[in-house]
Amino acid sequence: MLNYTLRRLLFAIPTLLVISFIIFVILDLAPGDPTGQLPLTIPAEVRAKIRESLGVGEPIHIAYFKWVRGFFVYEPLYWLDQIGITIGDPSERARIISYATRGPVFDLILERIPQTLWVVGLSYVFGILIALPIGVISAYKQYSWFDQLGTFISMVGFSVPTFFTGLLMIVIFSVQLGWFPSVYDTTLDVNSWDTFILQVKQMVMPVAVLALYNASQISRFMRASMLDNLTQDYVRTARAKGMSEKVVVLTHVLRNSLIPVVTVIALGVPTIFSGAIITEQIFRVNGLGQLLIIGIQGSDFPLVQTLTFIFAILIVLFNLIADVIYGILDPRIRYD
Amino acid sequence: MTKHDQVLVKAQNVKVHFPIHKGILRRQVGSVKAVDGLNFEIRKGETLGLVGESGCGKSTAGRAMLRLYELTEGQLDFEGVDIASLDPKALREIRPRMQMIFQDPQACLNPRMTVGSIIAEPLDEHTNLSTEEKREKVKSLLDAVGMNRDFVNRYPHEFSGGQRQRIGIARALALDPDFIVCDEPIAALDVSIQAQVVNLLQDIQERMGLTYLFISHDLSMVRHIADRVAVMYLGKIVELADKRDLYKTPKHPYTQALLSAVPVPNPEVEAKREHIVLQGDVPSPANPPKGCNFCTRCPVAIDRCRVEEPELRELNKGQFVACHLAE
Amino acid sequence: MRKLKTLIMATAAASTFATVALAERGSDGNLNVAYWQAVSILNPYLSGGTKDIEASSLILDPLANYRPDGSMEPALATEIPTIENGGVSEDLTSITWKLRDDVVWSDGTPFTAADVVFSANYCLDPEGGCNAASNFADVESVEALDDHTVKINFSVAKPFPYGPFVGATAPVIQEAQFKECMGAKAPECTEANFGPIGTGPFVVDEFRANDVVTYKANENYRDPAQPAFATVTLKGGGDSAATTRSVLETGEFDYAWNVQVEPEVLDQMMAAGKGEIISAFGTSVERLMVQLTNPDPSLGDKRATVEGGPHPFLSDINVRKALSMAIDRDILVEVGYGPNGQVTCNVLPAPEIYASTANDACKTQDVEGAKALLDEAGWLPGPDGVREKDGVRLSILYQTSTNSVRQGTQALIKQMWQEIGVETELRNIDAGVFFGGDQSSPDTFQKFFADIEMYTNNFDGTDPEAYMGNWVCSEIPSPKNQWIGNNMPRFCSEEYDALSAEMGQTASIEKRSALAKKMNDMLMQEYVIIPLIHRGRVSAASNTLGNVVLNPWDSELAFAEEWTRVE
Ligand SMILES: Nc1ncnc2c1ncn2[C@@H]1O[C@H](COP(=O)(O)OP(=O)(O)OP(=O)(O)O)[C@@H](O)[C@H]1O
Ligand code: SF4
Ligand SMILES: [Mg+2]
Repeated sequence: MLNYTLRRLLFAIPTLLVISFIIFVILDLAPGDPTGQLPLTIPAEVRAKIRESLGVGEPIHIAYFKWVRGFFVYEPLYWLDQIGITIGDPSERARIISYATRGPVFDLILERIPQTLWVVGLSYVFGILIALPIGVISAYKQYSWFDQLGTFISMVGFSVPTFFTGLLMIVIFSVQLGWFPSVYDTTLDVNSWDTFILQVKQMVMPVAVLALYNASQISRFMRASMLDNLTQDYVRTARAKGMSEKVVVLTHVLRNSLIPVVTVIALGVPTIFSGAIITEQIFRVNGLGQLLIIGIQGSDFPLVQTLTFIFAILIVLFNLIADVIYGILDPRIRYD
Repeated sequence: MTKHDQVLVKAQNVKVHFPIHKGILRRQVGSVKAVDGLNFEIRKGETLGLVGESGCGKSTAGRAMLRLYELTEGQLDFEGVDIASLDPKALREIRPRMQMIFQDPQACLNPRMTVGSIIAEPLDEHTNLSTEEKREKVKSLLDAVGMNRDFVNRYPHEFSGGQRQRIGIARALALDPDFIVCDEPIAALDVSIQAQVVNLLQDIQERMGLTYLFISHDLSMVRHIADRVAVMYLGKIVELADKRDLYKTPKHPYTQALLSAVPVPNPEVEAKREHIVLQGDVPSPANPPKGCNFCTRCPVAIDRCRVEEPELRELNKGQFVACHLAE
Repeated sequence: MRKLKTLIMATAAASTFATVALAERGSDGNLNVAYWQAVSILNPYLSGGTKDIEASSLILDPLANYRPDGSMEPALATEIPTIENGGVSEDLTSITWKLRDDVVWSDGTPFTAADVVFSANYCLDPEGGCNAASNFADVESVEALDDHTVKINFSVAKPFPYGPFVGATAPVIQEAQFKECMGAKAPECTEANFGPIGTGPFVVDEFRANDVVTYKANENYRDPAQPAFATVTLKGGGDSAATTRSVLETGEFDYAWNVQVEPEVLDQMMAAGKGEIISAFGTSVERLMVQLTNPDPSLGDKRATVEGGPHPFLSDINVRKALSMAIDRDILVEVGYGPNGQVTCNVLPAPEIYASTANDACKTQDVEGAKALLDEAGWLPGPDGVREKDGVRLSILYQTSTNSVRQGTQALIKQMWQEIGVETELRNIDAGVFFGGDQSSPDTFQKFFADIEMYTNNFDGTDPEAYMGNWVCSEIPSPKNQWIGNNMPRFCSEEYDALSAEMGQTASIEKRSALAKKMNDMLMQEYVIIPLIHRGRVSAASNTLGNVVLNPWDSELAFAEEWTRVE
């Protein structure tokens, strides 16, 4: 397993390099201009100067080389530097700089991680926690009213777009009832009971919207997988052994059914980081998803390139993790 | 036949119908009458063979015997206790005494459990053995089915089909049952191993005094292993007799047709034999014909057969037949 | 009616001002401001747009600001230099600002003329990519005559010498903080760009780029009673409907910038009674640009250039005029703009003194007139109803940027033109491409490979000289100037060029106004630009906010130090 993992990791490096280059080329070909958002009152000559100062229009191989050097060499060195290990001359290093903020892209990304993890990550966790029992019970009591209701709710959660559920929640809970803020305060510093309550309050709506969405997907997977297993002979065996229904469902069926579900869950983790663009916009959570969208709108290529590439790394990584988990959970799979 | 006169299992009008749901509201629109009124006894220590075409309800009947399916109707006595009406707790207590060996040895073993824990699991639930004793028991069971003791920590997928079936048998034996339903235990195995497994089953039966319900569609295998044989057609028993009587003088047209299809080893006899070829398909168990279930295909059917359902009646001593014309 | 409303709002605000003027600094708690575009940077010289400039206007002050009425008010200067008070030289080539001597930076160090000189040099550095460079156009040198006097020398006569350091686009930054950040190094000074030291009413407390800025009152602000608010939170992101809702419906915010919400939705939000819409009209005009050269792709390199020859039918003034006459501008306003727009017949609609009334006939649609005009000019309806003459059909390719209101307007105009027998094909292009200067793209508004294009433009400040200069011959975009130029219609008239040149030499406001109107009228009567809508700035303000007047000439937050909390 270790060998397999290492081999896969090694293989991932050239894959990712190719991916990064492809992203770069696509972004380079994409129309758009970082000065496109400037007011029209700024004359074209000034725009040309600005573009030049940003380094727009450099030949692609040079721009790519600079970015790769920034991503793989300068940024790691910078962060080593931050923890006290200095290699080389820090002042020589050009970090990857965003066009729009003129600040280092990595600082921006780092600033976004807390709210992304809190809101999107937590909604994923809640989604899973809600989905698993619902999926299990729905399958166990297939076609019961519970199952029908579960199916209906997941259809709704699945097909009604989050901007609608989000807006609906705002109208009900912020406008009408005034229970929760409609705008997420990213500067809130949780340091007391009161601020904790505030944090919880501002997280309720976005987390609920996203959790519903996640739960509907995962509960469907869970249900299908449970149904697959419930009719297997080994379940009958377990019953014939005189095992209690609890043991039959929870140890035999659930454990086997979880294997594919856990994989799906692992594969879904990168989507946490790519954020929930729409939900973030609605509640102004301003996490990684919103950062990406702003980057795209403003043609902030260094930002978009870096973020997309980080997502690519996460996707490759979690694919590997999913495979490894699968191997650990399912004794039938052996990697060597 | 003194050895076999105590009744262990007695089925009376056992029915298992599976509901058919259709439409968005999933309303019940009918039912598959997989098992539709079985009446028979299994005596202590004997092997009752249960034969019939694919889909006639053998497995369903076998599972119903262990109440792995809820009965739609009927009574099922196990040593005089009606297990069809037992509450879950009492049922669970009686479960160790009746076990099942499945058709597909791969599917019946939980892929995520080691052989050891598969065999030991029921011991945790139903006995108070210490860990050490349990380990011993597992190993001795593996011995009993002719498997290497060191396999305890392996997973089912690491074994061959025959080995898996042995594991399945060991598992079934773990709680010292009295009654085992063998649902085509050899159907999925290579011909070369079939004999080994059958011999093993017979060995064990002798050693432990087990009672078998042996389900198969292979008439010659049943002839080899069973004491008595029941023939099923479309959810019902059409003939039930001592194997000697049944094979020598089959009374029911269906049994006759089945037997005529079994090749005889002697080519001369085989050439002269008359083959009864049944016309048409087996009707759907969801919609069985009126009257005799077999009337749509019976070569000798008369008008009465399409109206009146024949009773299972005792023609000679111990030979039961459900046919208006049989005598 | 709308004007009346604005007026009432303004007086209401003024009256509250009277009652709360004695407030002391920081007594009003937190001010919550919502911008649907998030702030990226707090150095306006490197900014990506209005939101950044406005966000930094709370921190940085120029020498003078524009008041909501368009007049200039000294900020860091003691008075506005003019020829009369000797601040502007007779030959119009220099301006001398006297600075207040009681101003200190938020870090406590004194503000001097050196900072002003530095700020100019910072923006003038050719490698810095300063986006206020046009404010500093023709600046030859900036010198400190003494600690509190700055003289700006121009290379040409500048009848309107208030480009540098007037308005939020060109404020004064601190030399001490930025001296290592000149030119190519400008982007590297993240700390300074994210937290400039200023002389304005607030200082940055925390800045999360593309997300939120929190400010606190500047302890060293020059007016000891201001700002009334102790802290400001400027939250970015979401969309205009969401920010507006947070003021008008949930009341979580006090002020929402740039309201762009459909009129009906807005009415619903207003019903909650938590806030008001405030609007003001600056110089933004949504207009149609008419292509006078031939955009036929078969012309290759000469496509849409003067060399490529005149447009097959738009070179006929009757067609252009008919197109304008056929448009019902009232409907366009009603459907797409609501309080954000009013009908206009001028490309230069404001300030008041520059607004011509000579073209007001366009305010009423005249379909019959348009038809008659086309008939007369020989453009007669063909078999499919589309007018033609000598085999040339009146078939128009009409492009604009992708934006739901614009597409709505496009559809309406297409219908109106259909009525007079003009066929229209609509096209919309992603804003980033349309307005972006990508040389390789055929879809930019400068290349204008279409017959008609629509967008909004305006000018900074109150002086239209540079804006009206957009339509001189030398501004025609073409491959020779890398398609840089603002004269989209490719209009070229010696007379117009002469007027423009004359304006560059004229200092008297009356004469300048006459010239600007004349230029505007020329463009209008030639129908090379068809103005549609005078677009206002609309924002939402909470009822608990006092003293807010929407400022169309400067940053909306330029006078936020005067804002107060009222109950
Ligand atoms: N869970 C179920 N739900 C609905 N119908 C079922 C179910 N199980 C079995 N049936 C139907 O009941 C009938 C009898 O099935 P059963 O499995 O008992 O047949 P069988 O005699 O064992 O066949 P085989 O020899 O192929 O194993 C078949 O028509 C089958 O389709
Ligand atoms: S009852 Fe009639 S149909 Fe049924 S088996 Fe006997 S003869 Fe055939
Ligand atoms: Mg079967």
